[in-house]
Amino acid sequence: MILYLLRRLFLLCFVFIALTILAFSLGYLFPGEPLQNFTGLRHIPVNQLEQLSAEYRMDQGYIQQYLGYLTRVISGDWGMSFASEQGLLQEIKRLLPATLELAAYALLISFFIGIPVGIIAAIKPEGAVSKIISALAVTGYSIPIFWWALLLIMIFSLGLGWLPTAGRIGVLFEINHVTGFMLLDILLSDTQHQHEAMLNALRHMLLPTLVLATFPTTVMIRFTRDSMLEVWEQSYIKTARAKGLSRAQVLYRHALRNALLPVIRQIGLQFSTLITLAMITEVIFSWPGIGRWMIDSIYQRNYPAIQAGLLVISTLVITVNMITEILHTLFNPLARKR
Amino acid sequence: MAKFRLLPDEQLARSPFKQLWREFSRQHSAIAGLLIFSLFFLLVLLSAVLTPHDPYLQNDSLLLLPPSWSQQGLVQYPFGTDDLGRDLFSRLLVGARYTFGIAMITVMGALVMGLLLGTLAGMTKGLKSSVLNHLLDLALTIPSLLLAIIIVAILGPGLQNTTWAIMLALLPQFVHGIRNAIAEQLNQDYVIAYRLDGANNWQVFSRIILPNIWEKLTLMATMALSTATLDIAALGFLGLGAQAPTAEWGAMIADSLDLIYIAPVSVAIPGLLIFLAVLSVNLVGDGLRNAAKKRREN
Repeated sequence: MILYLLRRLFLLCFVFIALTILAFSLGYLFPGEPLQNFTGLRHIPVNQLEQLSAEYRMDQGYIQQYLGYLTRVISGDWGMSFASEQGLLQEIKRLLPATLELAAYALLISFFIGIPVGIIAAIKPEGAVSKIISALAVTGYSIPIFWWALLLIMIFSLGLGWLPTAGRIGVLFEINHVTGFMLLDILLSDTQHQHEAMLNALRHMLLPTLVLATFPTTVMIRFTRDSMLEVWEQSYIKTARAKGLSRAQVLYRHALRNALLPVIRQIGLQFSTLITLAMITEVIFSWPGIGRWMIDSIYQRNYPAIQAGLLVISTLVITVNMITEILHTLFNPLARKR
Repeated sequence: MAKFRLLPDEQLARSPFKQLWREFSRQHSAIAGLLIFSLFFLLVLLSAVLTPHDPYLQNDSLLLLPPSWSQQGLVQYPFGTDDLGRDLFSRLLVGARYTFGIAMITVMGALVMGLLLGTLAGMTKGLKSSVLNHLLDLALTIPSLLLAIIIVAILGPGLQNTTWAIMLALLPQFVHGIRNAIAEQLNQDYVIAYRLDGANNWQVFSRIILPNIWEKLTLMATMALSTATLDIAALGFLGLGAQAPTAEWGAMIADSLDLIYIAPVSVAIPGLLIFLAVLSVNLVGDGLRNAAKKRREN
């Protein structure tokens, strides 16, 4: 197991190095001067040009420049944003929790709805309930997320007026930025309107989370159902049934544990799709997260921001991937041997 | 003399393709999906002939005409016109070419490249294959929208550039899937037997591996087609893909978003078409997967 972890760690380092090489080369590939893209200063004063290019090792070879870039990335000096002229790392630290919050709640919903519904659908695969669930799942799987979001906004916000369309919380509430996670911040703040603020934040959160949760939930349903059906055919299940265990007992003691193993792995694989969808959701609901920031950066030709965003989002996805894979190996003795 | 039967088992005597079709056609949802899919495919081929009006012609006298089922609508313009007086119905028909047609081309391109790289990765061993695998792991983790953003930042927005982005985003899963399928085939006894007969790599690949993995390839292609359609529409919607006058469905939704109160139809119908196209692909994919599973069980 330790050897396995070491190998994973080595792989992580390798992937991270490849990623930084990619991000570094973007400084040259993007339009404009490489020095501008690395420093994030759109107008470099002539008297500082000499000093900056020495600091960024622009007069040396590419390898030296890359090493300089790597040390800057590790020490936290990520350059400035073209648009706001503020440090990129500080900006990302402010934005990332919003995205994480949205994605985390959507994932939680997909667990708590997707897995049980998938199990129900697997009980009688030819029954009416299972057919309805499958039909709903394939519908949710096929719906374009931006259109789905617009439909829900049209119905619940514009038509019925129940829910707000944009932002994380009403402008009347003043919540200090502590962790960046809105619900936690509200709990930590000591305003007298804590209860109202909480309700307001939840109302803002409901639609984006529902929209974002649609895809992972349907994937979860389909995957759990297929995995369940496959396990249900195994001979150890038949043995357990023949020994006299009831369906529920077999389900809990034998089937579920084996069926949910591939599901864990699926989370890691679906995470990058989830981030893509989160970016679109953020744009539609004006959610102040990193996805909307990235897409705004495209419109503003804010190249340093795109470079930094690539680094952060990919690191996030890789880490989640790695964690789910390690968890999968931890729970599955068969995978440990390889 | 009952050692052999004169008439072999009827089912087993049929070709694999016929067996697959038999299982496929038993599923109503799959057949319905196939029908809708063929309709969209015909639309992609023929939309230029079918359009009743020029989809880019701006008619000043007919701005924002309501759809034909309302009182003020005209029969000649089934879904009405947009704010520039262009016929919505013609634009929707042509849009099939951009959203669905280009998605198909993208998938084809990714499939061919994936087959090449996947074969290379699957048939070789050692360092080359290991490096390729690690690079693939990296590529698999970059979300497709992020990749598109980077490519758009380098090359500028446009339908063609996003096509490359989506192709690149689809490629890793193809390479991964094809490599695994080939590795699985290479472990089979019949491959070893064929090798003992003196077959070289190319013969093993073309005579044994390819016929055995085409089912998986089709399945991967249908899954990729639904992703590609959704991605092209999403990028068009965000303004990174197809640009304003192009009648791409996602871009059309973005265009008419400010008219959502006056003409909700112009937002609803393009979205519905994207949904139907993706749904049909997914239904066919699910049907194929079930049919392939049942065929193997028999």
